[in-house]
Amino acid sequence: MSLGEEHLPPGPRPSAPGPTFADVNRDVIRTLGTAGNLYFAWMSVVALLLALGILAWTEQIYYGIGMGGHRAPQQWATYIVNFVFWIGIGHAGTLISAILYLFRAKWRTSIYRGAEAMTVFAVLTAGLFPVIHIGRMWLPYWLIPYPSERFLWPAFRSPLLWDVFAISTYLTISVVFFIVGLIPDIAAVRDGTTGWRRRVYAVLAVGWQGTDRQWRHYRRAYGLFAALATPLVLSVHSVVSWDFAMALLPGWHSTLFAPFFVDGAIFSGFAMVLVLLLPMRYYFNLYPYITERQLDMMARLILTTSLVLTYFYTCEGFVSWYSGEPAERASYLFKWVGVYAPWWWLQIFCNSVVPLVFFWRRARIHVPTLYVVSLLVLVGMWLERFNIIVPGLGHGFYPWAFGVYLPSVTEVAILVGSFAWFFILFLAFIRVLPSVSIVEVKETIPHPVRAGHAQHG
Amino acid sequence: MADGLDRRGFFKLVGLGSAAAAAAGCGKTTEAILPYVIPPAHLVPGVATYFATVCRECPAGCGVLARNRDGHVVKLEGNPDHPVSRGALCARGQAALLGTYDPDRVATPRLREGQGWKPIGVADAEKLLAEKLAAARQAGAGRIGLISQLETGTLGRLMDDWLKALGARPRVAFEPFAYEALRAANRVTFGIDAIPYHAFEDARAVLSLGADYLETWLSPVGYAGGFRRMHALGGGIGGSVIHVEPRYSMTAANADEWLVNAPGTEALVALAVLRILLEERLGPTLPAKETEALLAVARTVEVEAAARQSGVPVARLKHVAETLAKGAPSLVVAGGVAVTGPGATEAAVAANLLNHALGNVGKTVRFGPNSALGRASRYAELAALIRAMANGEIAVLLIKDANPVFTLPPASGFAQALAKVPFVASLSSHLDETAARAHLLLPDLTPLESWGDYSPREGVWGLMQPAMGPVPPLSARREDAVDLLLNRPGESFPGVQTKPTGDVLLDIGRALVPGADKGPFRARTFADHLREAWQGIAKATASGVPFELFWEEALRRGGAWREVPAARVTLQPGIKPAGQVPGLAGPDGPALMVVPSSRYYDGRSANKPWLHETPDPMVQVVYDSWVEIAAETARRVGIATGDVVRVRSPHGQVELPAYVSETLHPGAVAVPLGLGHTEYGRFARSVGQSALPLLPAEPDPASGGLRWLAVRVTLERTGRREPLATPAGTTEVDHEREIVETVAFDEGMAGEKAGGRPPAHANLPSMYPDLKYPEHRWGMSVDLDACTGCQACVVACVAENNVPIMGLAEVPRVPVLRAGPFFALAEQPNPIAYLGKWQIGYGRSIHWLRVERWWDRGHPPAGTAKPGGAPRARFMPMLCQHCEIAPCEPVCPVFAAYHTSEGLNGQIYNRCVGTRYCGNNCPYIVRRFNWYRYQWPAPLTLALNPDVTVRDRGVMEKCTMCVQRIIAGKDRAKDEGRRPRDGEIMTACQQTCPTQAIVFGDLKDGQSRVSKLSASSRGYHVLGELGTRPAITYLKKATKETHG
Repeated sequence: MSLGEEHLPPGPRPSAPGPTFADVNRDVIRTLGTAGNLYFAWMSVVALLLALGILAWTEQIYYGIGMGGHRAPQQWATYIVNFVFWIGIGHAGTLISAILYLFRAKWRTSIYRGAEAMTVFAVLTAGLFPVIHIGRMWLPYWLIPYPSERFLWPAFRSPLLWDVFAISTYLTISVVFFIVGLIPDIAAVRDGTTGWRRRVYAVLAVGWQGTDRQWRHYRRAYGLFAALATPLVLSVHSVVSWDFAMALLPGWHSTLFAPFFVDGAIFSGFAMVLVLLLPMRYYFNLYPYITERQLDMMARLILTTSLVLTYFYTCEGFVSWYSGEPAERASYLFKWVGVYAPWWWLQIFCNSVVPLVFFWRRARIHVPTLYVVSLLVLVGMWLERFNIIVPGLGHGFYPWAFGVYLPSVTEVAILVGSFAWFFILFLAFIRVLPSVSIVEVKETIPHPVRAGHAQHG
Repeated sequence: MADGLDRRGFFKLVGLGSAAAAAAGCGKTTEAILPYVIPPAHLVPGVATYFATVCRECPAGCGVLARNRDGHVVKLEGNPDHPVSRGALCARGQAALLGTYDPDRVATPRLREGQGWKPIGVADAEKLLAEKLAAARQAGAGRIGLISQLETGTLGRLMDDWLKALGARPRVAFEPFAYEALRAANRVTFGIDAIPYHAFEDARAVLSLGADYLETWLSPVGYAGGFRRMHALGGGIGGSVIHVEPRYSMTAANADEWLVNAPGTEALVALAVLRILLEERLGPTLPAKETEALLAVARTVEVEAAARQSGVPVARLKHVAETLAKGAPSLVVAGGVAVTGPGATEAAVAANLLNHALGNVGKTVRFGPNSALGRASRYAELAALIRAMANGEIAVLLIKDANPVFTLPPASGFAQALAKVPFVASLSSHLDETAARAHLLLPDLTPLESWGDYSPREGVWGLMQPAMGPVPPLSARREDAVDLLLNRPGESFPGVQTKPTGDVLLDIGRALVPGADKGPFRARTFADHLREAWQGIAKATASGVPFELFWEEALRRGGAWREVPAARVTLQPGIKPAGQVPGLAGPDGPALMVVPSSRYYDGRSANKPWLHETPDPMVQVVYDSWVEIAAETARRVGIATGDVVRVRSPHGQVELPAYVSETLHPGAVAVPLGLGHTEYGRFARSVGQSALPLLPAEPDPASGGLRWLAVRVTLERTGRREPLATPAGTTEVDHEREIVETVAFDEGMAGEKAGGRPPAHANLPSMYPDLKYPEHRWGMSVDLDACTGCQACVVACVAENNVPIMGLAEVPRVPVLRAGPFFALAEQPNPIAYLGKWQIGYGRSIHWLRVERWWDRGHPPAGTAKPGGAPRARFMPMLCQHCEIAPCEPVCPVFAAYHTSEGLNGQIYNRCVGTRYCGNNCPYIVRRFNWYRYQWPAPLTLALNPDVTVRDRGVMEKCTMCVQRIIAGKDRAKDEGRRPRDGEIMTACQQTCPTQAIVFGDLKDGQSRVSKLSASSRGYHVLGELGTRPAITYLKKATKETHG
């Protein structure tokens, strides 16, 4: 008996031989049923926080960016931290759905839908922050190359413009991928509902009948999108990292940044997947689908990415020492011993030390441990971006302009609001769309007819 | 219109669409624009006219050119023709504009009513004043008094005549810093009651005994120009400058050697130097009798004892004597706190004797072109008036531009005496503390709106003409759609409607004095009176020239001047030895030095927010006042910078935030003067503290002057903190970066003579092809050896480029999500100062140009009493470097930051979306962001330069190298069919620099000054190793600190 089961909630235990096709349909579609009070309570809390964030943003739009804690030299601060953080979160989903799909990692089937939804919502959240951040939030469309009677054109040399393309591409692909993957499941939901809901799902199911021909097209399209999305997983966060790496600033100007950011993104993304899926597993009783194996695999991935991250941290320190650049060294030393040092060391603790518990299998499948580690990883990864941006800017080339940034109430409210926005989307998602892929889960369980000798791939 | 939309419907829709479009465009609403029906002469819309006038911010009387655009002055510039300032202005001079546009100035006459005021018509006010004067006159002679600031021109004489005609007491021309000890010393040594002209420019060595001649002393702008000519390497002279002062003032920081002495020991130092000079026969040979007389005085001081008491080692004293003797002609000046404390007169006498022994009198110390300050009333005269007021002898007291309630120590009892005067009329244009106690306010126009004249020294008559009409009424503006919705009008200004004081005096004179129609008050207006008075000046300076021509020339040039030969003076017999320096009163503690602020002078500039937001040159603090405490003292008392300290003297106590200084003599604490106003408008009120309650009112017995160094004080911790706001992050030079560079003096001089080479790093390779500049490449050189750190350029830049006032940021008034700093905004004693302090201290200053003070610990100051400990100040004007390979440009996603074909890093405000990437990527952190919308309450709007865009919130901005001036210069050249001449286009910072440290020009032109300077052997680029190829070349400061 595993450690995890001691913490299973009261209620039906996972049926011993594994779920049948009918179980899958029933269990998944059950999550779309009438919501309870708990759900509405959560919704209300999240909506309230979101309203608070919107209020703070409105005030900032009226009075100016000064409502945030920005200053010279930290002209970028929490908003950009949030942006990079959320983009990072948005990585695990595509990684799970596309790369692991192509590698035929079967354990992904029960979690990829949730992870994919998380991706879309995280990118939607991340996409808000550049707009929140800029001084004139009513003009972000100037970054888009559109034919203008004034012959104005964006500057393609700017990494920010690369960001625009990277993120919009990533958002498009992940939304399409998400929707395409949903089609057969929505059809299943459609078949189980009546009334206006049925009509809505019918539209979303785009006439899915489950014919052989449809399945063939579906498979081909899904594979194609997976192949398209795979390089994006690597490229998007590389491009985001170039916002920093292309700058002149000591601590930013580094070729290390692209893999460093991608690894960090996957690391935080998996932590967020766990943070979302563990409660879902509990409340919707998805134990048959999200089993110890899934938890184990994800914990292993977190451990691996953590080790890689630790390597990058070491590299960063070594390179800044080895460069011999006074500004580079001072900037790095400032992170270690400057005013932000507690946050630096907390980041190291969360990202490099805490995940080491996953060397033990018992920790990998122990739900509370998983949950706490995931939360700490999220904190650590947010801090990592903070520690790159804020102390980095605060200790640049020109000592007279060194400075210490403090987040303002507005910024905190908007940060909280962004989590609320993300969760409101996610909460809506789990009620209206199947949060576990019916199709792919079915693929992994033995076919009823060929039970006993079929190993479907 | 076939498908149901008829013609009417169509137009309705069009109209609706237009209305929607117009509503969508509701940014800042524009005011009604009304063209002139009959335009005034000389006023061409869009073309600036320059009017020469005089700066009246301090008694130095520098020449000003006021730039009038469309009927109002938008910028003050130095008048290059003026012999005092030679085209430069200081920070206070640059900010003088804000005096005229002060939203709280007294625009119309007011009469006291209970605790408040009620408006009164100009004619009624004048009638009331005339009645009161007539009644006072009837009551007997000497019942009328008048206190003015130093007025050495026609208005002063008119006041004197008028007072005499009314049988009043003689006028008191009150100046808090009248340096009476200098006059007393000159009486003693040379038998002349005057303050001479000090020809710094002709000296080769200067010894200053506490005189802050680069900050406030006598004529700081003129003396700074002279200082540059004798001291800066660029001039090829490289003279030596030695400064003796307990405090490391800006002047001390610019000296080659700073001798830190115990407060009040300047006389000992000077006499010891004199003794060494005479005994070792270093100076020129004097007649035996004079040598004897001098030696008799000098021998009252033992060199060893003087060294012990002052803390300046004997070797240093010897070195000073040698330097002075070698550097003939030399110059010894005594001023600042040295001449306002105990032994003030002795110090000034010693300086005189040194000058005499060195043969400087008549050469660098010139009696003849005497300073106007020598004509200020003596403190005794004011004290007598105060006594008369207190005794109820004064029935009517007039006050014009003097603020004794603020600038006199409260112990003088002026405020109490003032309360005993039955009728006080203030003729000042601002409601200062004294005016606030008046019964009638009949404000004069400000100097920019007035006729007048001022003679800053003999032989120089500065002429003031109205550079603009009185500030007109300005209607309330609504800032934006939200203000409209919430029915929040902006601030309005009633418009100045008053009568110039000169006119008032003439009218009342005519009304009260029989036969005055033909007498001194016959002129109908003061303008006529002035013109008439200038007939005499015409005879003195330009005899033979028709008056009309002379007058026009004087108006154009800003006055009239002639060379005044140095008068021959002889050493007076029977000069008394200095004897023992009298001790200071008070408990056993550090001596309190109350020093005039280079930003606020005696406090009269405290209503100018540009000065508040400009850091103090040395302490680099904005807005506040502080008590500078030596590090040793601070450690003993247990205080750190920002702790509020209770400073207690026998006369009173004051609570001030501490500034712990590594340089100050442990026997002293210093407090800058100028803040702590209780009135004087929204910008001055409740900012900082005044140290005057600590000072005694009794004058210095020897000279009769006010004492600014008079007491010892005790320091106590209060436990409260009040952090001082500074825009500086860290100021330590030692960051292994090429930022503030120095060169040894000899090496620098050799390089200066041998010619230059391009700065290192100038041509680091780049991936991209070199940029081509078809016409011009604008560039600049900044000579750190000439820069004194005075901050004049900073204020000039603010004035020229519409840089907003941080204290006037629009922050939440509706507290929805008030962030920390805004929580208590409404409860702050001065919300503007609070906001400004908070923002500037938090790195949100929008100054395009900043003058940084760095501490260099690599070169400890020579002769310091703290060997190896005290750092050396370095000044660094930092502005956009206009890099050829600019890090800011490629990162902008919308081309708002771009490179012009003339080498400027352009910034298109309208295109900027505010990503702030450029600000991050600038290694110099000179890009400034508009964090909020900044307000210009009327009539400050009129101070805006119409040639420069006013930036809205959310956009980046930075130094443009005054691109509007470049364009104007190029246009002018084009109109005349030529290329712009070198030196024709000047940036605002360059124009005002008293030491001409900044040179702007075309780097493509190999013969331009800037090209030659950029190739100097001292040239370097800040952070040049980054390969940014800046267009600004800094010239290293030459240091003599390795000496002895």
